[in-house]
Amino acid sequence: MNILKKIQLPLGLLTLISLAVGAWYVYQAPADFQQGGAVRILYVHVPSAKMALLSYLFLTVASVLYLWKRWEGADIVAEAATAVGAAFTALTLASGAIWGKPMWGTWWAWDARLTSMLVLLIIYKGLMVLRHSLDDPVKGARATAILAIIGGVDLPIIHYSVVWWRTLHQPPSLTAAENSSVHISGPLLPPLLILSGAFILLGLYMVTVKARQIEARRRLDALEAARMHPDE
Amino acid sequence: MLKAAYRIAWKDVAGDLRRRATLSSMLFFAISVLVVFQAAFEPDRKEAVRLLPGLLWATTLFTTLVGLGRVFQAEEEDGAFEGLLLASVPRGVIFFGKWLGNLLLTLLVELLILPLTMVLFNVDAWTQVPAILGILGLGTLGLTGLGTLLAAMTRGARSRETLLALLLLPLTAPLLISGVQAVAGVLQPDGVVAPWLKLLIIFDLVYLAMTPWAFGWLVEE
Repeated sequence: MNILKKIQLPLGLLTLISLAVGAWYVYQAPADFQQGGAVRILYVHVPSAKMALLSYLFLTVASVLYLWKRWEGADIVAEAATAVGAAFTALTLASGAIWGKPMWGTWWAWDARLTSMLVLLIIYKGLMVLRHSLDDPVKGARATAILAIIGGVDLPIIHYSVVWWRTLHQPPSLTAAENSSVHISGPLLPPLLILSGAFILLGLYMVTVKARQIEARRRLDALEAARMHPDE
Repeated sequence: MLKAAYRIAWKDVAGDLRRRATLSSMLFFAISVLVVFQAAFEPDRKEAVRLLPGLLWATTLFTTLVGLGRVFQAEEEDGAFEGLLLASVPRGVIFFGKWLGNLLLTLLVELLILPLTMVLFNVDAWTQVPAILGILGLGTLGLTGLGTLLAAMTRGARSRETLLALLLLPLTAPLLISGVQAVAGVLQPDGVVAPWLKLLIIFDLVYLAMTPWAFGWLVEE
């Protein structure tokens, strides 16, 4: 975990710089001709939605590594990624609601992607609760890792079932065809790409800080246990 | 191999049929859920047909939670769970046994709930009963499979019943959606059923393949 300590400062600075550059581009970008200034919310919404899913991918990989190799480091990273992913998911839902009110005329709609995101948030929460409700930390870690993998397999099924169920959300703008009405281009694109990169750095930085915090917490718990039962 | 799974399942089902502990609490829980729905929505005959799929699935889901809370109850005391794990069969077989036991009890409850719901809500769809039961059963396969794994996972956890609900409900979202849509499709003359059945089968297959393996990882020392 020494490596986390080493990369924390440079990673933090890099994150700060890229966020600042991204914010400057957002400030410079013209308002959308239909959406007006509200389009700027999407520069936060889209990158955080990407991070909400990317964190889960990260979490799944860390969980597989933990079950396979029994590295405690992988478990610490998984726990950190859970908290960070939950934060990004909540940010996605909140920014989406703020954007949705003026654009769709409603805070919330039971649309496919909104529903999947809400379910994702509950899964993140479930993972956090499960870990701490088992007394044996090793059992808690293993159960959480297994649940994370099951969730990772379940998420695509959840996604496709709600897509079949209802669809209102526009298709992804970045990959949409150029003549499509939701295609994003020109001066609106650079800030989105820069901020997507910045959010990846931000996510890594948050995982780093959180992982170091968790590691310190575990060391404290171990010391406390040793103090309470010195003869073991 | 299968015989061992069958024995474990039979031990649970027969034990419960003699004590009627899980079965009767599931059944009465289901009835009280139905009373709550009636008081909350007061559907007339036309609305009842529209609400029936959701009512059935919501009741099934909540009732399953009651049953799942007790899957490993027989193994709570005197290290009986560890004893069960010592059996000279693969862990996956032990899991199948516990799953099968829970599946049979849940199916039995569903068999009783379906006519009860149709009587209480005045829905006249008696010709569709086999189809609806088939859909319920198909969904219950995956539901109890995932549920049994989560029950094993939360064994010995603090406030495990709440935890079980928190973990099971989001993961079964596809099941609930496709189950409700399939039953609704059966009830309407021009309803669509096939794609939802496909989704239910995919869900079942995924959990049939994944859970025994996951159970092995979970109980490994």
